[in-house]
Amino acid sequence: MDDEDVYINYFTVLGLDENCKTGDVRKNYKKMMKDLILEIHSTEVTPDRLDQYLLTMAKLNAGFYILRDENRRNAYVEHRKKVIRLEKEWREKGEQDASSPEADQLRREYDRVLRDFLTKYMEELVLEAGRDKECVETSNWDAHHERHASRVLRHYRQKLYSQIHERLPYYDVTRPHIDWSEREQTVEQILHGGKV
Amino acid sequence: MAGKNISSTKVVEQEIIDLALAKAIADGDIVNFRFLFLPYSPLREDSTEDIESIKYSYLLPTEEEEQSSLFQSALELVSRKDIREHIQKELHKKGPTQLSSDLLLALADNAVRHEKFTSASQAYELLRIRHRMQELFFAQGEKELEKGNILDAVRAYRIASALEYDYSAFPEPLPAVPRYHDQALILHAEYKTVWNECIGNLPIENFLKSAFNYLFLLPEHASRITNKPIEVQIPFLVELIHLIDPEWKQFVQCVNQVIPLMHDLYQELKSRAERIADGRLWEDEWDEGLNTEKYVAISEQLLGRKLNQKDWWAYLKELAYEHPPSALFVARQMIGKEQEIIIPRYNFDNPIMMQLNLPVLPTIK
Repeated sequence: MDDEDVYINYFTVLGLDENCKTGDVRKNYKKMMKDLILEIHSTEVTPDRLDQYLLTMAKLNAGFYILRDENRRNAYVEHRKKVIRLEKEWREKGEQDASSPEADQLRREYDRVLRDFLTKYMEELVLEAGRDKECVETSNWDAHHERHASRVLRHYRQKLYSQIHERLPYYDVTRPHIDWSEREQTVEQILHGGKV
Repeated sequence: MAGKNISSTKVVEQEIIDLALAKAIADGDIVNFRFLFLPYSPLREDSTEDIESIKYSYLLPTEEEEQSSLFQSALELVSRKDIREHIQKELHKKGPTQLSSDLLLALADNAVRHEKFTSASQAYELLRIRHRMQELFFAQGEKELEKGNILDAVRAYRIASALEYDYSAFPEPLPAVPRYHDQALILHAEYKTVWNECIGNLPIENFLKSAFNYLFLLPEHASRITNKPIEVQIPFLVELIHLIDPEWKQFVQCVNQVIPLMHDLYQELKSRAERIADGRLWEDEWDEGLNTEKYVAISEQLLGRKLNQKDWWAYLKELAYEHPPSALFVARQMIGKEQEIIIPRYNFDNPIMMQLNLPVLPTIK
């Protein structure tokens, strides 16, 4: 995954570039959704796969719903750029002094904008897309999907949040220097040492 | 009269700081550890809180605790020059604290040793190594399995699974905790009308799958063991059950106690079924005159006490809280049109039952 792709890139989701036309959005969405539905019908759907399929379907719907409308598309692009910019600014400030009040303020601002971004584009609009007439017709999305998707999306949103954070500089803990062979020994020792 | 000057300088001795931090680390207690760095921490000189007051005595070690090897190594760690400097800097700083990763790592390991898994997963998560630590424990579990050390393998798997994080928790992700009392209700959400569909009566492969899916936090964790041969899964499950429920014997004892009542109930139900077949009893009135009070005692004896709420789910919920694995060996049974109980039900042909010392049960057939 590209470093900036952790911030849900719906252009990438639909296999498009940022200058694409609405017609391309519709064409790619319909093709990808059709392929996905065919795949679902030809595979044994285990609980794990069910969640994965639901998520992929939800992302395709959201990508189409957001990118086909100019206002929604612009708002999405702007919001995404803002999060990326704030991350960059905070990183630069943090490199000078991660614990300075300025860096801390920037981190909080970045965190707030990031949470808003994830809530809006990885939950609210995804569920809204599921109620869109064209999305419903193409994906057969219904109330049953929505009920399950709420749980899957919340889980995915938090996981994404965590993934984003793992790429960032340490701020609440000093950078750990982990010796993984020592870790292996510790695990073994914990196991054989028994409960204290 | 002029007010008393309360800005007198407070001094917190280094020795006290070391002792408090070493205790939190040795105990694997992330709550106390973080508390010691908060703006109102009694370790801060600008705080009005006093570490030596009685209310904070829990933050300091007892003489006995000071002798433990975990405490001694934690004390050695906090006394390290660079760490001590960092602690002092953080305790004097205004604004957000940056915790020492060396201390946090030691704390996390100790939390695992004490089986304080939520504390351990929080600390590993802060260090951003939680997932990798889980993998290390799973890998160690595999090694132990290869060596035939089932007990250590089970412990490794259990630790790895217990270090899971619930990213869907609100508002922040939190360590995931097994909620068997809720999971058991989900497991029995559907009333099984077919004898062989009850969990304990399932064919062994399906039974093992259901059992591991229920006992582990995530299906991904369960599938690591359900992919293995049955000969490996059976002893693994037996050890896992004993590890999760050290009081398993108590449940077995309760099952033994309810057998006579089960026998009576099945006889009663069988005779009613025969009377319906002969046309001597209307199907709609199958429960007429059935002494439900007598058979509710099955749920009570299984749990070992009476509840005000007589419903099956109330008993199952408490039973699963006290003996998490027990939910795999019981089923819902109607004893009236509006009354259900929980009753032991499992197939004794399944070798696991014998290994768990469960008794042979009467059947309704």
